[in-house]
Amino acid sequence: MRRLTVLGQDPGFSDRRGVVTVQVEIPRERLAPGPHGARFHVVDCDASTQTLYEPANANGEDPFADVTDVQRLVDSRLFHAQNVYGTAMETLCRYERGLGRRVPWSIPGGSLERAANGRGHVLKIAPHAFSEANAYYSRRDEGVLFGYFPSRAASGSKRSQTVFTCLSHDVIAHETTHAVLDGLRPRYTDPSSDDQAAFHEGFADVFALLSAFRHTRVVSAAFPDTPRSIPPRALTAESLRRSALTGLAEQLGAELGSIRGDPLRSSVQIQPSATLYTSAEYMEPHKRGELLVAAVMNAFLAVWAKRLRPLQGESGKQSVARARVVEEGAAAADHVLTMAIRALDYAPPVNIDFHDYLTALLTADHECYPDDSKYAYRQALVEWFGKYGIEPVREHHSPEPGTWSAPERPLSYRRSHFHSLTHDPDEAFHFIWENREALGIYPDAFTYVPAVNRSVKVDVDGFAVQETFIQYVQILGLEARELRKIGVRAPNGMPRTQALTLHGGGVLVFDEFGRLKFHVGSGVNSRKQTDRLESLWAHGFFRHERQTQRRFAELHRARAMANTRFREERW
Amino acid sequence: MATKKPTSVTIRTYAVGFGDCFLLSFKYPNEARHVLIDFGSTAVPKGAPANQLQRIAQDIATTTGGKLHAIVATHRHADHISGFATNATGSGPGDIIRGLKPDVVLQPWTEDPKAQRDARKATRTAQSGAAKLRALAALEGMHEVARAAEAAATDLREVVSKSVSEQLSFIGEDNVKNLSAVRNLMSMPGAERLYVNFGSKSGLERLLPGVKVHVLGPPTLEQSATIKKQRARDEVEFWQFWQRQGVAVSSGVSHGQRLFPRDVAAETPPHLRWFRQRLGEVYGDELLQLVTILDSAMNNTSVILLFEVGTKRLLFPGDAQLENWEYALARPEVRKLLAGTTLYKVGHHGSLNATPKTKLWEIFKNKSRTKSSRRLLTLLSTREDKHGHASDHTEVPRSTLLKELKSKTSLTNTLDYKAGELCRETLVKFGEPVQ
Repeated sequence: MRRLTVLGQDPGFSDRRGVVTVQVEIPRERLAPGPHGARFHVVDCDASTQTLYEPANANGEDPFADVTDVQRLVDSRLFHAQNVYGTAMETLCRYERGLGRRVPWSIPGGSLERAANGRGHVLKIAPHAFSEANAYYSRRDEGVLFGYFPSRAASGSKRSQTVFTCLSHDVIAHETTHAVLDGLRPRYTDPSSDDQAAFHEGFADVFALLSAFRHTRVVSAAFPDTPRSIPPRALTAESLRRSALTGLAEQLGAELGSIRGDPLRSSVQIQPSATLYTSAEYMEPHKRGELLVAAVMNAFLAVWAKRLRPLQGESGKQSVARARVVEEGAAAADHVLTMAIRALDYAPPVNIDFHDYLTALLTADHECYPDDSKYAYRQALVEWFGKYGIEPVREHHSPEPGTWSAPERPLSYRRSHFHSLTHDPDEAFHFIWENREALGIYPDAFTYVPAVNRSVKVDVDGFAVQETFIQYVQILGLEARELRKIGVRAPNGMPRTQALTLHGGGVLVFDEFGRLKFHVGSGVNSRKQTDRLESLWAHGFFRHERQTQRRFAELHRARAMANTRFREERW
Repeated sequence: MATKKPTSVTIRTYAVGFGDCFLLSFKYPNEARHVLIDFGSTAVPKGAPANQLQRIAQDIATTTGGKLHAIVATHRHADHISGFATNATGSGPGDIIRGLKPDVVLQPWTEDPKAQRDARKATRTAQSGAAKLRALAALEGMHEVARAAEAAATDLREVVSKSVSEQLSFIGEDNVKNLSAVRNLMSMPGAERLYVNFGSKSGLERLLPGVKVHVLGPPTLEQSATIKKQRARDEVEFWQFWQRQGVAVSSGVSHGQRLFPRDVAAETPPHLRWFRQRLGEVYGDELLQLVTILDSAMNNTSVILLFEVGTKRLLFPGDAQLENWEYALARPEVRKLLAGTTLYKVGHHGSLNATPKTKLWEIFKNKSRTKSSRRLLTLLSTREDKHGHASDHTEVPRSTLLKELKSKTSLTNTLDYKAGELCRETLVKFGEPVQ
C-alpha cells in the first residue's frame, strides 16, 4: 500500500495540533508524473488563463508527511496534485472495497475517435481547471474539473485568499462519486422521474458526508469543545446531531456554499414530514436529494447513539470516553457507507426511485448480515426513510420485510451455462431471451446487456458471498397512441402522435449456485413507465427537449443559487 | 390644472433595434404629459445609422416640446438604458434627455443607492456620496462576470464555437456596467429619484392626474421569500455569490493572473492537446451559462408598471420574467386587474420566458382572433438573430409567441418598420372624462 498525506477536510479544518491532515492508504500502483496512474491522470491545465503547468512529480513518495503548516500545503502545487489524487483514489478504493470488484468508468475513451467505445480506463483530473466557483464531473470531457475562487476572508498572501476546490475532501469525494456512479449506472443521468434526477446529487452527498467519518481525527475535530469524557445526555442521536454533525456542517459550509449550497446543514435540519416527498418544493432535484441525505444521516445518528448505549453502564448514567464515542461513530458510518455502496448492485439500472434504493439498501445488508438485531441498521433506515415519506417497495415473498423477493415464476436454466453466465454478456442475454415471459420482460423492445459483474463479499460468518449481477436495458421507440398496447398510460394532454422513447431495465442477481435470487427492475412496459412519462410531461421535457452536456455543472450551480425553473411558463 | 383626467394616450414605439424605448404622451385638454419608459439598445436596427439613438433623443425632445415629466428605467441592462449615456461634448443622447428636465426618475429598488448588498427591501432616504458608491459596487460582481465574458469571447475564440463566442459577447455587453447612463439617471437635475417595489406608490400619479399607476414588480426579497420559502436562505448570499464569482472570473480571464507562473509547461504534449482544447470549450460554455443566469437575474429586477385610466389598462413589464412576476400573480386582485389589460408591452423583446404563459398570457381576456376596438394591443421592440437560437428553441423573438401575438392581438412590431422609420404611434382613447 502507498500512504499519502491529504487534508482531512479542507485547509480551514483544524484541531489543537493544527490543520487536520490524514494519511490515506491506497494501492501502490506505478505512478508517472501528474500523478498519472491506471485510474486517474492529474492534468494541471487552467482554461481561464489558458495555461498548462508541468506535471507534478514526487516519484510516488509523500513529501508532506510531517508538514503541519497549512500555508505550506496551500502554496504547494505538488501538494494540490497529491491531495486530489490521494483523495480521489481513496474514494474509488472505498467503492471497490464495498463492491468486491473493480469499478469501471463510463467515459467515451480518449480523443482518438472514441476508440474505447465507452470504456476508457483513466479519468482525468484538472485541479485548477478554471477560475470559477464550481467543480464537477463531466463524462463528455472525460474528467473531473475543479475550480478556484477568491476566499470570503481576504487576508495573508495572494494564494491564501483563494479557495481551491481541489483541496476539499467534501468536493473531491462528491465529484468522484458522480464519476463512480456514472460508471456503475450510466443510465441514471437519463431524463426520468424526479427521484432519478435527484439521486446522483443526494447519493454523492451521502458518500461525501459519511466518508468524512473515515478518520477519527476528523470526527474528533468536528466537536472540539466537548470534554474527554462525555455524559449520557450528550450521547443521544439528537445531541450528536447538534454537536458532531452541525460542527462538521459549519466547517464545511463556510467557504464552499458557492459550489453547491450547504447540503449537510440543510439536510440535517429538515424537519421530518411524510408530506415533503410529494411537496412541490421538494420536486427540484437539488432539494429532493437532500431528503435522501436527511434520511440516511439521521439513521446513521440513531445507530451511533445505539452503539453508545451499552457503554453507559447498566444505570445508563456513565460517561463515555470521547475517543470511544468517536470510534463508534466511525464504525457506524463505515457500516452505513458499505450498505449505501452495496445497494447500488441491487438497484435497477434504469429509472431508479427512492423506494427502490431503500429496498436495495435493506437487501444488500440482509445478504451479508441476516441478523440486524444488534445495532438495528436496517430498522433505523426504514424508520427514517419512513419519516420522510419513503417506504420500501412492497414485495410479497421477501425473506425479510422491505427487501427484494425471489422471482415468483419458475425459470429455465436448461440451456444456460453458468460459468459463462458469470462473465459473458451474450450468455446473459441468452438467459434473458429464454426466460423473457417468466421475467415479465416486453419481448419486442431492443434489449441489451451492458454489464455482467461478479462480486465476492465476506458475510458475518466469515464465508464468501458470491454473486453475479447481470444488468439489462430495454429501449422502445413509439408514439403516444401506441402506449396503451403495452399497458402504459399516456399523460393527460399529450398529443397522440407524440414520439417517445421508453427506457426500461433491470438487474438479475444470481447466487453462487447460478440460481436467480432477485430480479430488480422491469422492462419498458411497467407502471413505472406511466409515472416516468407523467413526470417528464409535467416538467415540459417533450416541449423543450435540449441536450444537457454537463448536467452536474448546471445542477451544482442551480443548488448554489437555489435556482428554480418554470418550464410550464415558457414558450 | 383644469381637468383631472386624460382623454387619450399616444405611445410611440421607437426603432432602437434590440432594446426598448417607449414614449407615453397623455393628452389632457390643455396640455400633454410625457413619460419615457426605457431608452437603450445593444444593436440598432439593420441599416439604421450609427447615430440612431441621437435621432431618437432629438425626436423625443421635439415631441415633448422640451419637457419630460418622468423617466422610467425598468432595469439597468444596456438595451434599456444605454440611451441615457452622456458624452464629453454634451451631445450624447443622454445629454439631450437630461435637457428635458424630468420631474421624476423611477427605478427598481435594487438601484437604490441605500440598498445594501444584502438588502431585503427598498429604502427611501436621501443619497450620500458613500451610499452612491456602494450601490454601484453592489452590482459590480455581475458586471465583472459580464466583462470577463466579453473578454473571453475574444480570448477563447480559438477554442469555443462561433455561436458560443457570439452569445458571450452579446449577453456580456448587455450586462457590462454602463456607468455613464447609470450616473446620468442618478443625477438628472431637479428630478426626484424614486426606487420602487411591488405595492409601493409610483410617484407618477401627481404628474398624471386621473391615472392610477400600479407597481407590480419587482418584489422585495422579503416579498419573494413569502412565496418561495426554499429560496429565502440563499437570497442573502445572492449578491455575495456574484461579487466573488466576478472577482474569480475576471482575475482569471481579464487579468490572466496565473496561479503558479514558474511552473508553466513549455508546450502541450500531443496526448494532452485534446483535453486542453476540451477544457477551453467547457469554460466557454460555463461562462455562457453564468452570464445567462446573470442576465435573467438582472431582467428580474425590472419595474413592472400598470397604468389604469377608467377601464383601460396599459402594462409595461420591462424584461421581467416569472420570478419577478410571481409575487404579483399570486394575488387574485392583481390577476383580476391584469385580465382586463388593454395594451401589453411584450416582455423581454419576445423571449421564451418573459411572458408567463399560463399565469399571465392566458388570463388576458381581450385576446381575439378578429379585429375589434377592444382587441388587445401589443407592442414588441426587438431585433432578430441577436439572442438565442432556433435550434434549441431560445430564439428572440420566440416564434411560438410571435405567432400568438400576430393571431390574437393587434401587434406593433419594430421588425415590421420600414427602413429609416423612427417610430410608430399607438393611440388609446379613454373616452369622455368621467365627472
